[in-house]
Amino acid sequence: MLRATDLTQSYGSEQVFRELSLEVDTGEVVAVIGPSGVGKSTLLRTLALALAPDDGTVTLDGTAAWAVDESERLSLRRRIGMVFQEANLFDASVARNVEYGLRVRRSWSDRLRTELHSILSSNGTADAVYESLEVVELADKADQQAGSLSGGEAQRVSFARALAYDPDVLLLDEPTSDLDPRNTAVIEDAIDAARDRGIGVVVATHDMHQAERVADRVAVLLGDTVTETAPTEVIFEDPSDARTRKFISGELVY
Amino acid sequence: MPLESLGQPLSAVFDLPFRDGYVWSITYVSLYVSLVAVTLSTLVSIPVAITMAFSEFPGKQFVKSVVNTGMGFPSVVVGLAVLFLVSNQGPLGSMNLVFTREAMIISQFVLATPPITAISLAAITGVGKNVRDAARVLGGTRLDVALVVLKEARYGIATAILAGFGRAISEVGSVLIVGGNITSADGISKTRTLTTAIQLEARQGRYETAMLLGAVLLVLVLVVNAVVVRFSDQGVNW
Repeated sequence: MLRATDLTQSYGSEQVFRELSLEVDTGEVVAVIGPSGVGKSTLLRTLALALAPDDGTVTLDGTAAWAVDESERLSLRRRIGMVFQEANLFDASVARNVEYGLRVRRSWSDRLRTELHSILSSNGTADAVYESLEVVELADKADQQAGSLSGGEAQRVSFARALAYDPDVLLLDEPTSDLDPRNTAVIEDAIDAARDRGIGVVVATHDMHQAERVADRVAVLLGDTVTETAPTEVIFEDPSDARTRKFISGELVY
Repeated sequence: MPLESLGQPLSAVFDLPFRDGYVWSITYVSLYVSLVAVTLSTLVSIPVAITMAFSEFPGKQFVKSVVNTGMGFPSVVVGLAVLFLVSNQGPLGSMNLVFTREAMIISQFVLATPPITAISLAAITGVGKNVRDAARVLGGTRLDVALVVLKEARYGIATAILAGFGRAISEVGSVLIVGGNITSADGISKTRTLTTAIQLEARQGRYETAMLLGAVLLVLVLVVNAVVVRFSDQGVNW
């Protein structure tokens, strides 16, 4: 579904990765593992079409994202959701945050009408908002201000916000690296729920155990490219690439 | 409350030289001129601040230094410049704006725009890149992202507008020069503001009156502040 082919990306004069290929299919979880600073975030931002690659292509269901015009790219972008390492919530209520993706997809007249409706009846929150808050077990906090949440709760809201508009692909950039085990478990359950909905998930993580728990396939990003992509158990039990084997066993220290 | 009656109990108590409606009329002129000028300034400043925050264009640094210098414009010099602009020989001479409220609005606009632009710019650039990224990956267009930034920066922008309003309503020098501190024959203000009235009363030695007008001015500023702060609080649930 979402396929990156031979991506090359530089940051200033420094090359982040080269000739990198990655693919995620419907209802599949792909983990991208690799040491910190290897370019996982840059890769995910490129997959999110927030960053144009220096070379290579990103296609969604066969449409090359950087070969089409801005408005068509926007509609491709709108089929992709992304969660960052930090929650990055807006200074508004939880429900308004989760609703954001739905709101920007409406026409301006629709938006105005729903705004007026919510002012008049105080009950304009869409069902999709509660449904995705339920996935992260926070439906009871819909009316709270985002600023009053704990870090873990904020991150869960951030996940719900990306889930609410039912994207085809969900990109998660170290979604649990700042979280305690309980919040991490909720996010990992939510990843399973997303897979069950048929969403293709790419999760970048430096936590190999997490990759083992959630992923169907694992891509190992070492040096400046993906050294190996294989089903999870193959990567962890019988990797074919020598560098991957060293990295998995902890011998390769960056 | 009929505002015309504002002067009567005051003059009854203090034995002040107030005619009916005098205080109300200078208060009205002060408010009218400042509010119109600040509204126009805001309409210009915010788009300029957004453009400066998010895009690169030739001369950006120049605009920035003009804005920063503008915050220190001496108001009498601005008044003088506007007077030349609207005087009979000036480029706007044909519009007969000398000693009118419109001329006062022009000079207050020039004075209020730099602080509103500079403080808004600081507030807008203070909104983290993270929040912009979030709005963008959630499917926002450029306009959506800009709106998110404005909403996140709303307290700073409210401060900017209040700073501009503060500069406008407390301004004496330029409104005196371009407005002329005029009342009509029946004592109703044409271009007299609270500040220029205070200046006049103080020069004539009527200190009680001057202080009273000063109190009115203070209350006015407090009320406007309260309204603007309340308004930006309302924006929490956007």
